[in-house]
Amino acid sequence: MSRIGIIAALGVLALALAFSARSGPETAAERVDRISADLRCPVCQGLSARDSPSETARDMRNMVALRVAAGATDDAIRDEFRAAYGDWVMLQPPLLAPTGLVWLAPLVLVGGGLAWALRYARQASPVAPALVSDDAAVATLRERVATAEAEDR
Amino acid sequence: MTRGRAAVVLAITAFVLVLALAFRFDPHDLRSNAVGRPAPAFALTRLDGTGTVALRELAGKAVVLNFFASWCIPCVQEHPVLVSAWERYWTADVVFVGVLYQDDPANGREFTRRLGGTWPTAADDGGRTALSYGVFGIPETFFIGADGVVKGRHIGPLDDATLTAAIEVIRPRTPR
Repeated sequence: MSRIGIIAALGVLALALAFSARSGPETAAERVDRISADLRCPVCQGLSARDSPSETARDMRNMVALRVAAGATDDAIRDEFRAAYGDWVMLQPPLLAPTGLVWLAPLVLVGGGLAWALRYARQASPVAPALVSDDAAVATLRERVATAEAEDR
Repeated sequence: MTRGRAAVVLAITAFVLVLALAFRFDPHDLRSNAVGRPAPAFALTRLDGTGTVALRELAGKAVVLNFFASWCIPCVQEHPVLVSAWERYWTADVVFVGVLYQDDPANGREFTRRLGGTWPTAADDGGRTALSYGVFGIPETFFIGADGVVKGRHIGPLDDATLTAAIEVIRPRTPR
């Protein structure tokens, strides 16, 4: 088999593997799991409603399952929990929440500081001495050199 | 002051302001989003088997919505305060509703039989009412005005002064 034939066969094999490995449509249970994983269990320390064994988390999962079965969208289900508990109930709060400022402020400060430092460094860099171009100054210097030479003689 | 220095001072001031705003809130201060919003509707089966208790049937009345359970020791401690307030306010268009939270209805019936209280009590339906109000832990009490808006919320056992003050805020201003 030629080299091209081997490469083509490997390509077909890779495509076939990729096709067989692709995931099917998400089941209702998988959707409940995914949405519950985004929700914070109110009575736990940093656990999602999916991962917590608490009764409250179980109630939350059941409620998500009910809404999924009723055909609610992901956003509608999340919004229902946010209406009751606020953005806090999301394990990853929206970036635009006021708490996001706490994360963004240091970045803004560091960026601003770097910009300021660069600008300061540029201003403080040594400047090459200006060349003497003034005719009067040149004439004065020549006169002083000539005077000195005359005195040497 | 140069523009650069002014920018640095401004940035530091803004940073401190953001931190002050962020840390002003205790992360353990579990605030409910329900306060200031229309109270979520519910229609729950009464523990005594006499039908349901629904929020829509209480329109125009102030509602003290108390989540409790028989296994909850602070709920046992709080209960006499509720009984006392109920005896003082039950004629003043103030309605108490007890919602049994994560508990067996038989235990809830035994709880009210033993400790008193004749206000309607109902079993939460799979915790859905508690979740819709943003309940974190019991005892937890919501104060709903006659306009159907949640005016306040208290986590933990109520004392008489706190309960009375909250009821005075929500109760309709009619002569008693």
